[in-house]
Amino acid sequence: MEVTSERALDLDRHDRAAREFLEVAASRADEVEVHVDGELDAFVRFADVGPTQCADRERVVLSFRVRKEGAHGWREAGAKVGSLDREAWTPALERALTLLEHSPENPEALPLPEAGRVESVSHSTATELHGVAGKLGWIDQALKASAEAQLAPAGLAETRVCATTLFNSKGLAVQGSTSKASFSLTVSGDGANGIGQCIAHDVQDLDVTSAIRQSTEKGIASRAPEVFAPCETTVVLEPLAVSSILLFAAYSGFGAREVEEGTSFLAGREGDRLFSDCLSISDNARHPLLRELPFDGEGVKKSRVALVENGVLCGPVTDRAHAERMGLACTGHSPRRPSGQGPMAQSMVVKAGNESVEELIRGVDDGLLVSQFHYTNLIEPRELTLTGMTRNGTFRIRNGEVVGAVKNLRFTQALTQALGRVSGVGSDEAVVGALFDGHLVTPSLVLDGFRFTSTTDF
Amino acid sequence: MMNLAETAVSAALESGASYADARVNRVERQNLSLRNGALSDSLDQDDFGVGVRVIVNGAWGFGAAPGFDAAAAKLAARRAVGAARNLSPLRREPVKLSGEAGSTSSWTTPVETDPFTVSLADKLAFLVDADKTLQGREETVVRIAGFEARREEQWQASSEGARLHQRMIRAGAGISNMARVGTEVERRSWPASFGGNYRSAGWEYVEELGRGFVEHGPRIRDEAIALCTADVCPAGERDLILMGNQLMLQIHESVGHPNEIDRVHGHEVDLAGASFATMDKGAFRYGSPIVNLVADPTARHGLDTRGFDDDGVASAPFDVVREGEFKGYHTDREWAGRLGLGESHSTSRAEGWFHPPIVRITNLSLMPGTWNLDALVADTADGVLCDTVKMWSIDQRRVNFQFTTELGWEIKDGEKTRMLRRPTYQGSTVEFWNSCDAICDESHYEMWGVANCGKGNPMQVAEMSHGAAPARFKNITFVA
Repeated sequence: MEVTSERALDLDRHDRAAREFLEVAASRADEVEVHVDGELDAFVRFADVGPTQCADRERVVLSFRVRKEGAHGWREAGAKVGSLDREAWTPALERALTLLEHSPENPEALPLPEAGRVESVSHSTATELHGVAGKLGWIDQALKASAEAQLAPAGLAETRVCATTLFNSKGLAVQGSTSKASFSLTVSGDGANGIGQCIAHDVQDLDVTSAIRQSTEKGIASRAPEVFAPCETTVVLEPLAVSSILLFAAYSGFGAREVEEGTSFLAGREGDRLFSDCLSISDNARHPLLRELPFDGEGVKKSRVALVENGVLCGPVTDRAHAERMGLACTGHSPRRPSGQGPMAQSMVVKAGNESVEELIRGVDDGLLVSQFHYTNLIEPRELTLTGMTRNGTFRIRNGEVVGAVKNLRFTQALTQALGRVSGVGSDEAVVGALFDGHLVTPSLVLDGFRFTSTTDF
Repeated sequence: MMNLAETAVSAALESGASYADARVNRVERQNLSLRNGALSDSLDQDDFGVGVRVIVNGAWGFGAAPGFDAAAAKLAARRAVGAARNLSPLRREPVKLSGEAGSTSSWTTPVETDPFTVSLADKLAFLVDADKTLQGREETVVRIAGFEARREEQWQASSEGARLHQRMIRAGAGISNMARVGTEVERRSWPASFGGNYRSAGWEYVEELGRGFVEHGPRIRDEAIALCTADVCPAGERDLILMGNQLMLQIHESVGHPNEIDRVHGHEVDLAGASFATMDKGAFRYGSPIVNLVADPTARHGLDTRGFDDDGVASAPFDVVREGEFKGYHTDREWAGRLGLGESHSTSRAEGWFHPPIVRITNLSLMPGTWNLDALVADTADGVLCDTVKMWSIDQRRVNFQFTTELGWEIKDGEKTRMLRRPTYQGSTVEFWNSCDAICDESHYEMWGVANCGKGNPMQVAEMSHGAAPARFKNITFVA
């Protein structure tokens, strides 16, 4: 194995490996596509005893697909190897070529894309170099703040950089790298819970102090929660709570395949003003808070796509095959092929408003402030009916003020209805993640008539 | 390969570790699926590398590097020691492991036919036949037929003398059918959702499932179509009969996760959540007296069936709930040592070489009872029989849950009367398990695989199984 330096992505090596593979495989198939992915990751988890788990790690993956054109369409096969060495990928290539001989032809598959103009994106070097030692100060600060608040801490500090090199046998060659630094602190004790989280492209932009303050302040404020009888009420959803529900629109609604199959809430409603006119959502990999790869799994340039424009349903995001079948423009949202997945909006951005969260709260006579949802899941896709639980700080609002904590509640709500009742959009734009991975940029939202269906005893 | 693990352990000790273990790990995975007859997934994965875990000055460190050579092993060891040394000043109490001694052993999943030795042509022919069982109705929008096999080989060494090798093989398959009538869309799956069912087994299990496709393919195709126009399950309080392919998720979410000791002590609260089953409750009443839940990493066909865990502790069964009373947690050497619980329950597992081990649910099963399913239905005056996981949600302490299944059958006066769409039931964990008044017998008992259990932060995926026979729960709340 050719060992890289202790903390650096070796992009030249990725490039050489991709070219070597392409050269060998191109003579064996009609079309070839190869990805080389590298990842460097350093994380520390911590809790009441201090650091509980950490890792300083690296991996590389070479993945490819080979294709042959038959009388009734394309046949293709793919493989993925955790090494860039020729002796490692040669057996995988042979197996893929064997599979290719027996695969059914797919009349709907298109030839690989030609080379296009795609700009590059680079990771932050400071994030790349930020190892375990660099996270000590954050964790020390979090442990001290939690102790002062007399709450138990649990959290994660992580820096990760990922690079992708993609070549195909038709001359397409794209490369990009991304970085993500994140810190989260959850505090708990005596019925209290609070969370603070921050995510940034560059570790130098990470505001850990604010995340710690937010977490402990929520924790202290959420002590002695009272029972709130489940009902329909106005909610102020902070960005973490918004992410848990909107990501299901991405998983199940904004993709062309779900629209084509008729399972999406968008199907048959394109152009309808289904949501409040203060709500606009786009998919934008180039947003400065996201800075994700500007090309899709086939190397096609990702376009910014308006998904909801002032409440009117637009979209969906497409790949080349769906675009051609559905008579739409290709937006560059293909997953890596071969895949059972369809195109998906993975870089959602909710347009921020002008009011701070405090101002949003001041506009609520009677309702709840929700910090986060837990284990949200989809009951029904056509109306985007979801269920989930509140967590890490749920508060009663009366006459425009937060008056105390309430015990956690379960919601069961059709999002097609709830997003039609958005009455406020905050200015507090943040990049946030959800339980099942994925992240988006969103401010806080005020939703009227949000339906809570049961409660807990904590 | 064992030499490589030993090299990593030596390198870590030379760099100052007081304890070190290394896992040289290779995971091969083959996933093929047809979507409306065309090959949509054809993933052939081969991933390998070295993961090294150390203790330095009482703190954990973990390092990982790709490849199968001494350079990778030493790099991973250096990373692990460096991380632990940097973090040790913040560690408030030193890591203390329970006292299981290192051993030398090997273990292999018993299979008749290693699925990786079956030709790709035969696998594709199998899927083409599976797909045919779903064809024939114009309301069908999407037909899926899929197969997946996984072979994991691990060489494990520790500074305490462990030298362990194991080879774990699993295989499975499934079919699903999505239908549309007007604007209504419904899906049915067999034998379970999430791609089917998986076992620690070879190609022989895939062939067994293939024989089932012939019978169940046309049935689920027609059920998906019928569901589109079926009545939505009405709200109200009724008895609930859960089929095994739903009960397994109930076990997983409301018994398995709350009994992971790291959750109980708040170490997973930052993402996956905590637990209501705190140690101060002691041997509390978890369920009715007929409820017996056994964790068993030696169980036949379990996805987490292996010789030992990633701490090197030999697999052995233990009671989680006996005659309704809570008995024990899923633990690893760190938690067993910290809490003075005696021996670890051997439930420390990592997702491959790239991740450090964490406490995991192992195969956790509800022991069969005495009922026949037909007799159970006949004995139910007002109930709903729920079949196949569709949606699940549970709070962060694993108390308030809500589940939806693909299909329900209304039961009135002992008869199945009509098909119900989207049956959704809600409950509270301890109350729910205490309402269990009937469990079907051994002839209905099956091992159901969970191939996608997410936990940890950053998240890791693990596999385990839950054995279950259909069971009845009294007076359960259904929501519309």
